[in-house]
Amino acid sequence: MKKIILVLIASISLTSWGQDITETFNSTRIINSHSPEVLGAKTWEYRIEHRFGDMAGDLGGVQSAFGFDQAADIRMAFEYGFTKKWMLGLGRSKGIGAPYTSLIDGFVKGKLLTQNKEKGMPISLAYIGTTYLTYMKSVNDPNSAANYDGNFLRRMAFSNQVVISRKFSDRFTMALMPTLTHRNYVLYNDLNTVGAVGIAVNYKFTKSFGVIVEYFQSLNFEEEIRPNFTNSLAFGFEFVTNGHNFHINLTNARGFGDVQYIALNQSDWAKGQFRLGFSISRNFKIRRK
Amino acid sequence: MDTCTSLFFLSLVLKILNMTKAFGVLFLLGIFFLLSLQKQDGKIAPYKVILAEEMTVEDAIIALGGQKSSHHIQNVDQQKALIGKELIEKGRRKKGLFKSKLISPYFVCTDCHNLGREFEQSNEQSPEKRLEYAQKNKLPFLPGSTFWGIYNRRAFYNDDYVKKYGDLITKAKSSLEESVQVCAKYCSAGRHLKDWELESIMHYFKANELKLKDVELTEEQRERIRLPQALNSDEKKDLLNVLESSFVRGFSAHFDVTMPRENRKYGVGGNIEKGKFIYENACLYCHKDGRVTFLKLDNDVLSGRMFVHHMEGYEDRTLYQITRYGTYTMPGRNQYMPRYTKEKMSDQQIEDLMAYLRQLAQK
Repeated sequence: MKKIILVLIASISLTSWGQDITETFNSTRIINSHSPEVLGAKTWEYRIEHRFGDMAGDLGGVQSAFGFDQAADIRMAFEYGFTKKWMLGLGRSKGIGAPYTSLIDGFVKGKLLTQNKEKGMPISLAYIGTTYLTYMKSVNDPNSAANYDGNFLRRMAFSNQVVISRKFSDRFTMALMPTLTHRNYVLYNDLNTVGAVGIAVNYKFTKSFGVIVEYFQSLNFEEEIRPNFTNSLAFGFEFVTNGHNFHINLTNARGFGDVQYIALNQSDWAKGQFRLGFSISRNFKIRRK
Repeated sequence: MDTCTSLFFLSLVLKILNMTKAFGVLFLLGIFFLLSLQKQDGKIAPYKVILAEEMTVEDAIIALGGQKSSHHIQNVDQQKALIGKELIEKGRRKKGLFKSKLISPYFVCTDCHNLGREFEQSNEQSPEKRLEYAQKNKLPFLPGSTFWGIYNRRAFYNDDYVKKYGDLITKAKSSLEESVQVCAKYCSAGRHLKDWELESIMHYFKANELKLKDVELTEEQRERIRLPQALNSDEKKDLLNVLESSFVRGFSAHFDVTMPRENRKYGVGGNIEKGKFIYENACLYCHKDGRVTFLKLDNDVLSGRMFVHHMEGYEDRTLYQITRYGTYTMPGRNQYMPRYTKEKMSDQQIEDLMAYLRQLAQK
């Protein structure tokens, strides 16, 4: 299946380049997902990401100032590009509370392929491996997914993501994001391992402004198991300045990290359970490339 | 075997041994003789003929009665010169597990300075001639002056640089060592060089000093300089003047303000081919993939449109402004863009660049 998708992507070519294609997306994230871009060697990035509460629906509306009164999730992270193609990051999220709060994530990301016409490489491809660990207080209720009961491994979760992208023109980029998440401890009506495929498009109006759409389709929906879980859909605006990157987005995903926005998403656009979110990142190039 | 026979054989063996010894001695003597001859050969060839064109400009100046430079080095230490080259190109010395501290975390010398010749003739410094030579030889078109021949210069941070650096360059204006220190500490947002680093860089400069073949002299002038004993003092003085005007002793550096709107042609009538070369060898030299900066530029329509969109303004993204003012360091962002002086990029070259960017924006 992956091969077919790759061949399909490779067969479409609207423009040609003789060098490595970068700036498929302007930052290391699409909206919720990682993008194929990496920071570059010796570059630090500090990220602040925020998701407000529901804009509409039962919890939204005027009473909650369309979600501004609440914080669905907040993440702060330091990320570092230690070579031109590899980076790592360490972040801390508030967590969406069902079940995770106080969630730490650490990831390694490698840009394994870079789109280059001359070298016959039609796509860029990045791999991201993330480990999650919650240090929240264990819940005594044995029917809670947060009942860690002194078992450290229950606190851990993992995700593996591959981002395949192609820049079709100076303005238009498309990406596919097959992702596999695994939580060590889940409730009886859930699955430890949840797979999903994401798709995203980016259209740049100017050098510093573009729009992004991102959607994740879960591959593990069954009637009895995981009945209330939903797919995440997000729309974003991206602004780039010298060293800063700003995202403003609308999404039904409450939390950050694959294990939250893919495996634990229960918000529904149709019920008004979408929210405003933003991310700000600031780069510090401490060593030249 | 009887006793007589035994004695006969014994005497024969001794004779043979003696003969061998004698041969051995003769053999050794022969070797010593040959070696001594070789040594003798060395002694009888005391003159190393220096061709006029290979004579260094510094030696020629001294021979004609001129002053030694304040940074005079008698002989190049090749090892130090190689270390100097490494410091200039990589910003640090690396040998095995040893890694010296980076001079600057943000820049290396070659981000702003070429290492080779930049003009067809050694006494030129016009931006047009510089571009012509860069195009012909596919050189980066950088805001700093080349290091080639810097050893022979006597004036640094000339003209308007005092407006930017003030007292920081008071000593540096007449001292190559001080200039290098100012560049390392302030221009590259780094640190002062240690003694061994400065010495290595100076030896690199010495290794790339000008020779008579590099400067604008006639064959006859070169030959006369090579044999200064044959000249009287007036002739020496005249020749010294000719020599000192045959290369640039200090590059002019004049700052300019942003071109006023009413003077801008916005690329109309500009030379697109030259503009493309300047874009690829000046702008993209640093901005390609954000090599030295966070602003990524490329040969793409969005980069072109960014400049076209801002071309009428007076801001960082206005080509007429950024080339003339550059940017400054600020907390958290030590990388900055140095300005192009009038001597390093002319107004017409900015228009050529604008012409190309307008074409790029319409791709």
